[in-house]
Amino acid sequence: MTHEMSKPEQWLGLYGDVLYRYALSRVRNPDVAEDLVQETLLAGIKAKDNYAGQAAVQTWLIGILKHKIIDYFRKASREKTQEFDDRFATEEDDYFDQQGSWQIDLSSWSKPDKCLEQEQFIEVLQTCIDRLPPRMAQLFILRELDGMESEKICETLSISTLNNFWVMMSRVRVQLRHCLDLNWFGKQEL
Amino acid sequence: MLTCKEASHLASKSLDAKLTWRERFGLCLHIAMCGLCRRYVRDLKKLRAMMKAAGNSGQALVPEAVKLSEASRQRIKQALSKALHPSK
Repeated sequence: MTHEMSKPEQWLGLYGDVLYRYALSRVRNPDVAEDLVQETLLAGIKAKDNYAGQAAVQTWLIGILKHKIIDYFRKASREKTQEFDDRFATEEDDYFDQQGSWQIDLSSWSKPDKCLEQEQFIEVLQTCIDRLPPRMAQLFILRELDGMESEKICETLSISTLNNFWVMMSRVRVQLRHCLDLNWFGKQEL
Repeated sequence: MLTCKEASHLASKSLDAKLTWRERFGLCLHIAMCGLCRRYVRDLKKLRAMMKAAGNSGQALVPEAVKLSEASRQRIKQALSKALHPSK
């Protein structure tokens, strides 16, 4: 048993903020993220005898947190989601005209790989994600941040068909891309 | 010929599923003639790469300066100490 493992009273100090940021980056709600940190640490205390010692304690705790996050998404998706999904998927948008052609500008994205090193860009990215309806943000985060398989996401978020999933992803992407365009990439090339 | 709206939908779908060859053919044909959709396809891939990098860095979607508030830290501390020392 590693040193940290034997002192669970230190976990909050050692890993609290890391767990909090991890949770917050996924659930996008400070109260929920705090609760998830608490639940994770409590579950960790209960399960610490099962800890096999291969992973670092932090990695082990994040593993527990991942499950808690998915449970949270699953619970949040139990009610009234079908109606919402149908509306989101069929709603008219401002991105295409009646003929189905682009009616927004698409600016060229230069050096997007360097962006994440810039604090301001990260703020813009967060703002754009937080502007999505929460359910759509969850969908996008599970898929793109955590790389979860489509089928698993449908099951977790109670999305009725894969086809609905693709339509929703497509709408999230166009919306997010446009938001990044307006608030970042469109401003870079003057 | 697909519309841009249809092409954008297929471009997104191609990141989550294997397109049928008919879909792939339609998308390629459209992209060959439409600069905006070409750009869109490229950007979706960049968006994906960006999110992947954000996921790997662990905190790119929340700045490192973000921490648990003192109040919640105290609350969690109490809950934990109850669990660690149930007799108290």
